[in-house]
Amino acid sequence: MADTQWVVVVVAATDRAMGSVLAASLMLPGMAILPLSLQAQNLPEHGLIALKMGYFSDSQPGWERVSVRSPQLYALVPIAGEWSLEGSLAGDSVSGATPRMHTFESGATPHMDDYRRAADVKVTRHFARAAVSAGIGFSSELDYKSRALNLQARLSSEDNNTTWAFGYGGARDVIDNQSIGGGAIDQSRRTDEWMVGLTQVMTADDIVQINLTRSVGTGYFNDPYKDFEDRPDYRNVNVALLRWNHYMDSMDASVRASYRLYGDSFGVKSQTLGIEWSKSFHRWTWVPGLRAYSQTAADFYFDPVVDGAGVPSVALTRRFANRLTGHRSADQRLAAYGALAISMKVAFDIDSLTQLDLKVESYRQRSDLQWGGDGSPHLESYNARSLQVGLVHKF
Amino acid sequence: MGIWRTLEFEFVAMASPCAIWIDTKKEQLARKSADAAIAEVRRIEQKYSRYQEGSVLSRINREAANSAVAVDSETAELLNFAERLWHASGGCFDISTGVFRRIWDFRRGELPSQSQLDATLPCVGWPKVSWNGTHIHFACKGMEIDFGGIGKEYAADRVAQVLRDHGFEHALVNLGGDVHALGARARPDGSGQPWSIGIRHPRVQEQCLAHLPLHRGGLATSGDYERYFERDGRRYCHILNPLTGMPVTHWQSVSVLSANATSAGAMSSIAMLKEETAIAWLDAQSVSYLAVRSDGQVFTHRVAA
Repeated sequence: MADTQWVVVVVAATDRAMGSVLAASLMLPGMAILPLSLQAQNLPEHGLIALKMGYFSDSQPGWERVSVRSPQLYALVPIAGEWSLEGSLAGDSVSGATPRMHTFESGATPHMDDYRRAADVKVTRHFARAAVSAGIGFSSELDYKSRALNLQARLSSEDNNTTWAFGYGGARDVIDNQSIGGGAIDQSRRTDEWMVGLTQVMTADDIVQINLTRSVGTGYFNDPYKDFEDRPDYRNVNVALLRWNHYMDSMDASVRASYRLYGDSFGVKSQTLGIEWSKSFHRWTWVPGLRAYSQTAADFYFDPVVDGAGVPSVALTRRFANRLTGHRSADQRLAAYGALAISMKVAFDIDSLTQLDLKVESYRQRSDLQWGGDGSPHLESYNARSLQVGLVHKF
Repeated sequence: MGIWRTLEFEFVAMASPCAIWIDTKKEQLARKSADAAIAEVRRIEQKYSRYQEGSVLSRINREAANSAVAVDSETAELLNFAERLWHASGGCFDISTGVFRRIWDFRRGELPSQSQLDATLPCVGWPKVSWNGTHIHFACKGMEIDFGGIGKEYAADRVAQVLRDHGFEHALVNLGGDVHALGARARPDGSGQPWSIGIRHPRVQEQCLAHLPLHRGGLATSGDYERYFERDGRRYCHILNPLTGMPVTHWQSVSVLSANATSAGAMSSIAMLKEETAIAWLDAQSVSYLAVRSDGQVFTHRVAA
């Protein structure tokens, strides 16, 4: 009993500081590692800082572009548990050529060397079952300046199984490339976007999300580096996005599927189907992904004109385009095509607060990948590869 | 990594409904941790159940009257803790009172006779237990110990440790009302908010008397409503004074907030047993509490109820 008596004396001595019962409980196995303070303080929620570096290359037959994306910095700082402040900075070096018409024409395209700077900041106020946020953003290139405003509200049900989201985004852009010899002089564009979303926890293993977006844009929509560009001065867009996250108990993995339906007043209709599979092994997480895309052409897109041998001819196409009246564009991005992208993301937890990730993606765009159609004729295939390295640290 | 979710794991252990809540983006890891946490509860339940023949506790109760029984270090620490509680409570928290179960039948609602009490009282009392830190020996036949008021609370704290070892800080453990919060809520829609713990109304079933905010630490409630019967207008509850063998009557319930569930549980039990002197005793322990007296009056200290 001697040992026990000694302990009781020690406990009695700490009585005033923390109470003898609490002091005694700390001698139970493992108990001492649990924190002693239970003051009603807000635990400092983790802040986050992320750095991303990218490498991108794209190509069409006989043409290739390589660019190294400059670092992008993102930070999130929680303030007093009720507010959070997010901000990002990016500086992209855009270098290379851009096709004048359907595809790249050697020697006929101005070389682009530009530097893009972008910054945005967002502040969020968190409530028990809601959050509201407001953000502003700026983006600046030699020929293009953009200002954006975002407002968002999120509201959850009492059981937190249902979350509604509402958002507004407005952007004001100015396009002016006369300093580099272009024809766009002090052109402007205004876009207003409204979003409503619903996220529903269906079962312990399933979450479903639906987002509906409507955007109304007016102003200058041409690509100032393309010939024969005359697009409508408005573009209204409707987007429906459906997401489903499913956790697979038997495999201890998650599947994330998404479907996006898009339609705009240019006449472009598109669908995107995406699926990702996420599986963790100890400190590694592997996320292979597949994305399939298909779109119809804009109403005013014109195909290249072929010569007698059936080969697309630049001269004949130019002659044809010159005679076109009304809206017109030869931009490949407004043609009918389909695309496939496969990706693999690998993340490694360096420790519980730091994660390193690497994502590679290969993208292939071709006319004959269009769903239920052959796509626009005589469109060159377009391929792109990207690699992104990121470092995320919580503090 | 996914979106923030609150994962809730419900299970039954120690004859009580239990649940673990984890605010997390790491769903797979959370599920694994919850499995490990539940396994820890089962381990403690099996080791200290008085209903399982093979448990450490059953072996002690079977053999300690005949000869000194050697125990493992975890059991030794629990016995040390029980002994300290006996001292700290002035002898009213006593793990040998379980023997009273033989004469108190709360299911049938029958009062024991005075002769039954007289025959049982000699088998109750920690001073009749010889405990030297490694071996336990009962002074007389018919004695028994159990870890009621300690075991479930200790399990809640151990679960908290398991979750913490897996890297989770924003989680809540509730083992039949013995609660341990590891840290505040983390979901973006309620980041830094406390967990809200409902304190059961001691007289109105399915109704809460108060909701206590808990950022971190332990919360336990002891009450006269868990097992009881009424006879001739008087309530007889399962919390029994070791010196008289009779139920306590002064408090309907006592809830205590402390840094861990084990100490909170022990203090709420001791406060019930302390009867009129409970408030002074709790104040000396410098803890937060919410106590409901038999006449319904509520006493609180540093509790935002």
